[in-house]
Amino acid sequence: MPPLMKPFRFGRELPPGVLSFVMNIPTLITLSLVLAYPIFYAAYLSFHKVSLAELRRGVFPFVGLANYERIFNDPLFLLSLKNTLLFTGLSVTVEILLAIAIALLIDQTHIWTSRVTKFLILVPYAVPPIANGLIWSFMYSFEYGFLNRILFTTGISHSAVNWSGDPSTALIAVAIPYIWRTLPFAILLLHAALQGISHELYEAASVDGAGAVQRFWHITLPLLRPIIVVILVLRTSFAFAVFDEVLAITQGGPGDATWVASWYSYKKGFAPPFDIGVGAASAYVLAMIVGLLAIAYVRLIYRRIN
Amino acid sequence: MRQRGWTNLWLHAANVAVIAFFVLPLIAALFGALQSEKSLHADTRGLWAPEWTLDNFRVILSGGAQRGAIFEQATYLPDNIKKIHFALINSTIISVSVTLLTLVFASLTAYTVARLRSRWVMWLMGVNVFARFVPIIVLMVPLYVTFRGMGLLNSIWGVIIALTGFLLPYGIIILAPYFASIPAELDDAARIDGCSRFTVLVRIILPLSTPALASYGAIVFVIAWNDLLIPLILNNRAEFMTLPVMIASLVGDMFTFFNLLMAICLIALAPTVILVLVLRRYVVQGLSAGAVKG
Repeated sequence: MPPLMKPFRFGRELPPGVLSFVMNIPTLITLSLVLAYPIFYAAYLSFHKVSLAELRRGVFPFVGLANYERIFNDPLFLLSLKNTLLFTGLSVTVEILLAIAIALLIDQTHIWTSRVTKFLILVPYAVPPIANGLIWSFMYSFEYGFLNRILFTTGISHSAVNWSGDPSTALIAVAIPYIWRTLPFAILLLHAALQGISHELYEAASVDGAGAVQRFWHITLPLLRPIIVVILVLRTSFAFAVFDEVLAITQGGPGDATWVASWYSYKKGFAPPFDIGVGAASAYVLAMIVGLLAIAYVRLIYRRIN
Repeated sequence: MRQRGWTNLWLHAANVAVIAFFVLPLIAALFGALQSEKSLHADTRGLWAPEWTLDNFRVILSGGAQRGAIFEQATYLPDNIKKIHFALINSTIISVSVTLLTLVFASLTAYTVARLRSRWVMWLMGVNVFARFVPIIVLMVPLYVTFRGMGLLNSIWGVIIALTGFLLPYGIIILAPYFASIPAELDDAARIDGCSRFTVLVRIILPLSTPALASYGAIVFVIAWNDLLIPLILNNRAEFMTLPVMIASLVGDMFTFFNLLMAICLIALAPTVILVLVLRRYVVQGLSAGAVKG
């Protein structure tokens, strides 16, 4: 867009450059305090010893890479990274597959139940993650949980299932509520993209004798690909930071089966022994991984715009 | 036609499955919240409770003052439950202030992005696209140290500032393209009539942007209301907790039973769920426009 030709000069108005600075002052102050400064300060802290004693004295001794050495020699940190990767891979894959299916389903506007589904889609989005986690924790409960009651009542099984207490399935038990809560976002984006596909394409394919499955593979899926990639990158980077559901359902347990990256940073920095330096270092590793994804995303978006 | 009938049947079945998956947790929560701990333990296999009660809600909303039948004999009630009104008030104040502040700040910035287009403003926009990827935990470690030095721990303000900063980039990403889509001729006409740029924003751009403002406002309110990590790390005194922090504080409490927890969860999720259902159209638009955080 070419710059506006100003029809008049307003003597009392600030020139555009100055005006845009003045109008951005609140944003600049907030963003530098909450985003820019902390990013650099986190890097600073990760190279220093910061725990309760240092916080009280206000002096943080420089320790070089010691914090990073400690986390990379800590089997628990490596396990947390591994769990985070597993969790992310699992939840994002399942989520995208489900979201494509449900987006196609709610696109069938002639089916009245599809309209009901479409109305309810947003509900999980609004539920506080911690409440979501706790509700699922109640459903999973071994002694009197809702899921076991369903099993008993329907007669599927007569022995109680320990849904979240088994180390081999605990990560899945955390992933299901997470998928439940974040699915609406993926469905909405896919549904919006579906509506952008012209009906003539489908009609032309039908005339050529393509069945529903062929139309999906050769028209729908290729046209959805850009938005699928966007969802993939966004959801992956957010799933890397999963925290609330872990706190509510397993608190890292059973054993250390569900320690994830955010949980590690939180436990190291804000629980005894309050080693904030180590917390900062581990959080920074997470930020680096997500940062790479962010770069991929920005590139992608700009390629789409150009 | 017969073929079509079968297809429709399958589609209905798929919808029923999806709807069941979406509402199952809410039904479970309601089921837990409407009975006593005793009845949860009495029958651990059936779905239908032997008796239903509203006492869980009564005890929570009265801050432990009205115990009702099921808590009459309870000798222990978590302290935080008695302070639940703080959490309700704090969550409301924080979410409303963050929504208003981000709307104002983001509108000002979005206007400069859409209309003034200085190079550094465009650069700021790029930073915003990037900023929403930063995991909150990364910001919370340094923010804790900084806010500690500024005396902003255990205060409403610390949380408001942090959330505002964290949610501002989304707003700029949603609002800037919307402002840019409003014909610049309208600005020109107003300016010929003697409006300053600021007046143009307030009198012309903002009234024409109500859908985008509603979208963004609703999304910000939901995220601010639901956020756990920021207030969890900044505020640990019951007087300054938000609802999610209060819920989290009860997680480790062995003596708090699910009936009470489910009632608190329902109280915490009701405002945002209702808001989102009422403003459904705007939330959908906002989410797809900004491809924001889910």
